Amino acid sequence: MLEAIRSTVSILSYFVLPSLLVGFPLYGLIKGVPVYEVFVDGAKEGFDVAVTIIPYLIAILFAIGMFRASGAMDFLVNALDPVLSLIGVPAEVVPMGIVRPLTGSGSAGIVADMINQYGEDSLVVKMAATMFGSTETTFYVIAVYFGAVNIRDTRHAVPAGLFADFVGFLASVYVVQLLFG
Amino acid sequence: MLNYIWSGLIIFSLVFALAVDTQELVENRFRNDSALPVAVEFPEGYAPDARRQPVTIQIDTSTYKQFFGVDDTPQSSYSGTLLQTQDGRQLQFSPEATLPEPLTTIQSFHASDENEALRGTLQSVPSIAAGTSQITTAVQFEPVHFRKLNAIAEAALNFAETAASLALGLIGILGLMLGLVKIGEEAGLVHALAEFVRPLLSPLFPNVPEGHPALANITLNLLANVFGLGNAATPLGIKAMEDLQELNPDDETASDDMVMLLALNTSSVQLVPPSLLVAIMGLQINQLIFSITLATLFSSIAGILGAYTLSRMPWFRVSAPHRNENTDPSAGNAFPPTHDS
Repeated sequence: MLEAIRSTVSILSYFVLPSLLVGFPLYGLIKGVPVYEVFVDGAKEGFDVAVTIIPYLIAILFAIGMFRASGAMDFLVNALDPVLSLIGVPAEVVPMGIVRPLTGSGSAGIVADMINQYGEDSLVVKMAATMFGSTETTFYVIAVYFGAVNIRDTRHAVPAGLFADFVGFLASVYVVQLLFG
Repeated sequence: MLNYIWSGLIIFSLVFALAVDTQELVENRFRNDSALPVAVEFPEGYAPDARRQPVTIQIDTSTYKQFFGVDDTPQSSYSGTLLQTQDGRQLQFSPEATLPEPLTTIQSFHASDENEALRGTLQSVPSIAAGTSQITTAVQFEPVHFRKLNAIAEAALNFAETAASLALGLIGILGLMLGLVKIGEEAGLVHALAEFVRPLLSPLFPNVPEGHPALANITLNLLANVFGLGNAATPLGIKAMEDLQELNPDDETASDDMVMLLALNTSSVQLVPPSLLVAIMGLQINQLIFSITLATLFSSIAGILGAYTLSRMPWFRVSAPHRNENTDPSAGNAFPPTHDS
């Protein structure tokens, strides 16, 4: 059963990017959108996005880099491992779980750092990437959305958002283990 | 919050580095002031005038263990080079040698771009006759101290550089993804699906009257999230929030519906991965989209249940802007209120 799921996923996965690459322009064409011009217009933003995230990446990467170089990261991983292994969570993904609700660009930096550290194919990188893709930056969303309408008392927004993030964190770990483990 | 975590990382790195460095100094783990006894063999016989000559270095296992107080054992012999200058004789291990701890650490601490080899000064041997095949001596390595302090400074500089080059390397794929997604946005992908999704969402927002535009904007916002249209999602979400604020009797307190919208936003199901992740992961994203979609399914359910359950808690119930309307049973609310006395 599990083998069947895994092999289906690995076959289907060849179609993901190609269908995105063709699907969007085809759909646009059907809807009468000037696809080439719109694409170029959208692609221009690539540069802006890349430049905008630089300060966030610097801030997170240098702090994580120092933390790793001091040996504190290994210490933390070793200390947390016995506890976390009870629930099947590798300690290496904990920094991602903590940073993800706080900063989007910063957690992208953590994924990049983990690729350097553990290799692109490793399970922990897949888990971290799944976490990155599966939750939004909760505190940023709260600040933007409630700020726009001047809400001061956010009531249960933070606990509800963090609960969803936590479930997303655990789900990422287990789903990756199930599909690729 | 991020302020504390970020400064915590930096400060804790410094404290941890200092603690490790102090411990190493106190233990004198690298035997900074003593020389390690070694035997040096000259396969071609000692040449007194050669600036560099190949040698074989032998370290006695038990001497080594005792000297450094470790369990690691050296190999039976290492190839190396003897350098002779006016300042003295320097022994250099082959850069490819697999050294035991703590020699590896000493090597990496002093390694530079020009010279990666582990090197140390040979203790003065009065004079060696030409053609000698073996001498017994001791080698003094350069001292190692404040290793971690140096490492964190180096890491900070390296990673700052990495951050900028990493971000610039993402421009191409980011542009590709943002271009594609823009086509979906212009083609009205989100609007086409809104009709089907809206009825599913309506039970989650009990305080929105039927036919009110709030639900339409909520649907568009969440669908934009599903298709990874981040740029479109935020304005739609703010529009939806403004609609909900109109329905909210209390201007400064979030209504249950607003919290539900937030919870769905932070956990929304993803069918198209975020552009930034595609740029970082490259082709790997092909597989990851399956784990991402599944994980978001769970987190969305958790978001809905969390927002709903918490809104029923007495603590949050008392502050709910719609609480007075909800206590009226004739309102026919889908979710009967719990009374907190």
